[in-house]
Amino acid sequence: MSPAEPEGPGAVAEAAPVDDGRPRIAGRGPRSPDWLAADALAELVLRRVRGRRPTVSTVVRRHGPIVAVVGLAAFLRFWQLAAIGFNSDEAVYAGTAASIAGDPTMRSIFPVFRAHPVLFQTLVALTQYGHQPSDLASRSVPAAIGVATVIVTYLLGARLYDRRVGLIAALVLAVMPYHVVVSRQVLLDGLATLCATAVVYCVVRYTESAGLRWMLAAGSMMGLTILSKETSVVLLGGLYAFFALTPMVRIQIRHVLLALVALVVTAAPMPVVLYLAGRGDTGRSYLLWQAFRRGNHGLLFYADVLPNAIGPLVLAVAVAGLVWLRRANTWRERLLACWIVVPLSFFTLWPVKGYQYLLPIAPAVAVLAARCLAALPTLQWLRRRAWLPRTVTVLAVLVTAVSLAVPAWARVNPAPDGTFLAGTGGLPGGREAGEWVRTNVPARAQLLAIGPSMANVLEFYGRHRVFALSVSPNPNDRNPAYVPVPNPDRSLRDGEFQYVVWDSYTANRAAFFADEALRLIARYHGVAVKTVTATVRGASGQPVVQPVIVIYEVRVQ
Amino acid sequence: MRHTTGIVAAAAAVLLGALMGASPASADAPDTRTSTPIRHFIFLMQGDRTFDNYFGTYPGADGIPDGACQALVLNHPENGCVRPFALHGKTPDPLAPGADVIDKQLDGGKLDGFVAAFTAQGRDGSSAMGYYDRRDLTYYWNLAEQYVLFDAFFSAVPYGYRANRDYWVSAAAPPGGDTVAPTGYGDGPTIFDRLEAAGVSWKFYVQDYQPAQTFRTRTATDPAPQTVRVPLLNYARFVDDPRLRGHIVDLDQYYRDLADGTLPAVAYVASSGSSERSARSIPAGQTLVHSMVTQLMLSRSWNSSAFMWSYDGSGGWYDHVVPPAGLGLRVPAVLVSPYARRGQVNHTRLDYTSALVFVEHNWGVAPLTGRDASAIDLTSAFDFAAKPRPAEIVSMNDQPAHAPLVRVGLIYGWYGGAAVLALVLVAVATGSSRRRPKPVARPRPPTREEVPVP
Repeated sequence: MSPAEPEGPGAVAEAAPVDDGRPRIAGRGPRSPDWLAADALAELVLRRVRGRRPTVSTVVRRHGPIVAVVGLAAFLRFWQLAAIGFNSDEAVYAGTAASIAGDPTMRSIFPVFRAHPVLFQTLVALTQYGHQPSDLASRSVPAAIGVATVIVTYLLGARLYDRRVGLIAALVLAVMPYHVVVSRQVLLDGLATLCATAVVYCVVRYTESAGLRWMLAAGSMMGLTILSKETSVVLLGGLYAFFALTPMVRIQIRHVLLALVALVVTAAPMPVVLYLAGRGDTGRSYLLWQAFRRGNHGLLFYADVLPNAIGPLVLAVAVAGLVWLRRANTWRERLLACWIVVPLSFFTLWPVKGYQYLLPIAPAVAVLAARCLAALPTLQWLRRRAWLPRTVTVLAVLVTAVSLAVPAWARVNPAPDGTFLAGTGGLPGGREAGEWVRTNVPARAQLLAIGPSMANVLEFYGRHRVFALSVSPNPNDRNPAYVPVPNPDRSLRDGEFQYVVWDSYTANRAAFFADEALRLIARYHGVAVKTVTATVRGASGQPVVQPVIVIYEVRVQ
Repeated sequence: MRHTTGIVAAAAAVLLGALMGASPASADAPDTRTSTPIRHFIFLMQGDRTFDNYFGTYPGADGIPDGACQALVLNHPENGCVRPFALHGKTPDPLAPGADVIDKQLDGGKLDGFVAAFTAQGRDGSSAMGYYDRRDLTYYWNLAEQYVLFDAFFSAVPYGYRANRDYWVSAAAPPGGDTVAPTGYGDGPTIFDRLEAAGVSWKFYVQDYQPAQTFRTRTATDPAPQTVRVPLLNYARFVDDPRLRGHIVDLDQYYRDLADGTLPAVAYVASSGSSERSARSIPAGQTLVHSMVTQLMLSRSWNSSAFMWSYDGSGGWYDHVVPPAGLGLRVPAVLVSPYARRGQVNHTRLDYTSALVFVEHNWGVAPLTGRDASAIDLTSAFDFAAKPRPAEIVSMNDQPAHAPLVRVGLIYGWYGGAAVLALVLVAVATGSSRRRPKPVARPRPPTREEVPVP
């Protein structure tokens, strides 16, 4: 088969206008045959002269930039990694990991099988054998996964366009606040993003080659993505949209079916392990609850939070690139666009939203932005000076990177602002309060918090059971993992709880239950035994020290 | 941290005591004078129950024997007998036996009249054969599993709340039995006189304490029931001397003392509505004990404390063990302490005065009567060679079953297998691409790709 022809039915019907089968930066136009021949000749000569052994400078020039980007990504993801305690979700996942690792106390608090598959938790568990879970060890796993995602994004960009695009995309992702923040937390989304980016890479390779092996790899990677977080199944819609909307990419139905088999086989451990462990009902309960739970955010949630998380400049550059280079757009941009638009549309319309749910689209956005930045030298007005295209491109990349790095750095080193944004870096004082509980509260004592977020954090650090007032007694309205306290008065009268915990974070979100907690504290002779304070910004804008968590000892008589 | 705070508090209390003169009410000052690590001894007295009534089916205890059956009519087996039965879900009325019923129940040591004694009075006494178990006494059984249950702990006398409760504090019966003379119980010494003289702190906590109700206020129409529960209120000196009277306080003070770190060295406790004399008050009794024990565990006094509770007579309930001469039937008794042996069923023959002996030995005060002088103390229930056990809250409900074991191998096998499968497929695809000849850098015929996608 001639390399100039599509390799099979799955390949793009159009041939790539490039020398090595991969298109160069859109807009630059294909190189002329003479150029290509000269390039090949030059490379042959160089290899002869250098004896096929690259020099140090060649290696540095070739790999130095990506190594630097990876180093930067690692720095932002590992710097002060355990400075802030876990938030609620992290506490649950780290607690589940500890349960898998065999911690008997954690096993009685955090059941292994909760709402999600446990691929990520199993990886975290590997860091927890033989010792109590540590924040640093647990967070090192998603941080390392985040760095790996930067590398895969580089490969994706390089595959789709060229090394410069890969490099810029990797740099953008390395300093993107969205990815930095989430990959510093013990959350499933970092691993799902890594696997999802690998899926896109495999699909690109399949589209280029039509090789069944790449389709199988894509299917299996998709299964692994779902095994990381089951909501990733939405990404399949992006692939479907791409293949459906791109007729020039011909795929064989046999390849699709085999890829689906690979997907199902790879994702099978989730239901199979639940079934073999006798937790089939657990899985169904979570599925039903996830499907029909009440919405937690409005329609414009992502429109509100995502631009700042991804970076407004990056978004603008990515969109501008699609418009500016529209005449050069190919299936590549369509693939990335579908990968972004489908989950974005789904989760915008879906009533249940999470800050990190759309992380898998971040690498695609980074690649699109990088494509635009790398195409800047093709602007005619820049060609008036020889040095101008390169300088402007470098400056544009630097400005973009800095526009991301500054807020990312701010999130890595959070200043007290009193917003107590859960899910983005711990509950203020939660770790300190939990450690106090672990040290000072007798074994088997039980605590009653206002809401489940603080309860999760206190359970993880305190290694005690903590229940929450705001958990609904109605099974349709609560996470199946949470145990409600239908009659807290009676529970306190029966001596089920020895402590009641008030915290400002939950009090701001659930005033009714905060008032109820204070009423119970007063009624059951509450005595404050631990107060955790935090420096927050007061009404005047000045930092003030405020109690954020107060633990009261209560008694019946 | 708690330990350090305790030391600092103790040092401060000692220093304050030295500066201001000895303060008998000071909680921690006498602590250094104990012969054991126990610096706080708390003894709660509840209503009337027998051991078999509460722990007759407790594993490892001398409980209800197989084949036990009490005749409905004494010496007339043909009329049938009543076997022990579970009272779970039932709320029988208190048996309220008089002295003659108790005598007939014991029947000179034959213990064959537990039901017949009531039958003889024309009453249905079958309830006497009822017993409670874990379902009804979950908290007590849970505590017994963690600490010490005494199965040879006898009431001081076969009959009489007042007598049993006076033995509790003075190792002697009150002079007038159930009748209180106008002058009260007289001048007989109590353990609190000994402690007061020795400068050892003490308190008598009374649930729902009514200070105005003493032996002096008893009338034909108002029997001042509090004086039955609180024997000290029958002694003129404890009623009249404000210094002594100040030691008798409401139970709320117990919780404040725990919170303030001023728990006295010796504390006796009399309950009221939570006394468990009736079936309906059993949950309240467990709640009371749970609250007292739990708050003790939460306090910094826990590491040097012992908490005990028992019952002030048989109440007409069945028990199968013949009491030693002069003593009443067995009553339940449980000891909770960081030094208590874990899960021990203690078979040592003890009675209320055994607690007095322990106090006397521990704080170095003289015996009160020949009864306590010859009694065995509680030492066999402690293990003072061991380190104090950290507090562990005991549940009012069934102890949670251990979390089900999850076969971790299952998770690693399946999830690991899935990850390996995906990585192998990617590696194979990558490898196959590398083996293919790279596209030669030569011009390709123009194709549709060069036409931008509309």
